[in-house]
Amino acid sequence: MSVAPVEDVEVADRSEVETPWVCIVWNDPVNLMSYVTYVFMTYFGYPRDKAEQLMLEVHQEGRAIVASGNRDAMERDVTAMHSYGLWATVSRSQ
Amino acid sequence: MGLLDPPGFRRNRHGQVWMHLQQGERQLVAQLLDQLAELLAPPEPRQPVDPLEELVGIDPGAVRPADPALARLFPDAYTDPEAADEFRRFTQRDLRTGKLAHLELVRATLERKDPTRLSPDEADAWLRTLNDLRLTLGTRLAVSEDGPQPFLDLDEDDPRRGMYLVYDWLTYHQDRLVHALEKGAPR
Repeated sequence: MSVAPVEDVEVADRSEVETPWVCIVWNDPVNLMSYVTYVFMTYFGYPRDKAEQLMLEVHQEGRAIVASGNRDAMERDVTAMHSYGLWATVSRSQ
Repeated sequence: MGLLDPPGFRRNRHGQVWMHLQQGERQLVAQLLDQLAELLAPPEPRQPVDPLEELVGIDPGAVRPADPALARLFPDAYTDPEAADEFRRFTQRDLRTGKLAHLELVRATLERKDPTRLSPDEADAWLRTLNDLRLTLGTRLAVSEDGPQPFLDLDEDDPRRGMYLVYDWLTYHQDRLVHALEKGAPR
């Protein structure tokens, strides 16, 4: 077992650490409002009120940020949304 | 749930989800599953397959599908096309495997005696697979939020009319299943 010399340790870019990433769900004409609400409640564990509010935001505004966090976590969330058939993307928080 | 109840999904007072479908409905779903399985079938593997890529589930050949229905089932994860392609190489294979596994769980429930009780995993597989079927048909039909009228106005012999009726049937049952799964959940 060895210890990496200090100069080899990569220091994460501060902006990378501080800027959270987001998972955005986009509106589409097929997914049911009841189903989208169910997915938000089941996968994210959101209470019904919050899940319905996010679903309505997707429906009315065309998109909604449904989660935020580090990039790995957002990629996991987007993959999960795709597995449910929701249309979702990862992006850096504005 | 008795045979005289309307076909569909229902939650009983013990919290179990039951499915009752007529013979013709089972046949219809089985045919739709065959078509979806064919659509989802992985393309021929490149030769030779890199064992390390195989092990970690990377698919270097994964690209945005040209078929619009497949592109809807496997959407871009980034709005930037390059980032989307990169992400796809790491995730598309697992996503495809997952969809096919759900489809096979659904297929197995169709072969049981009617009505049949669904385990939580089976109910979840039904929910996702009904959605994948609706996404596929919905993309083929180019459904919009304008409602059913444009399709009901089509000629009787227009194949899109029949396809829309199937889509509508799937929609009704998916909504019933969502409500069956939600009943009793904290509100």
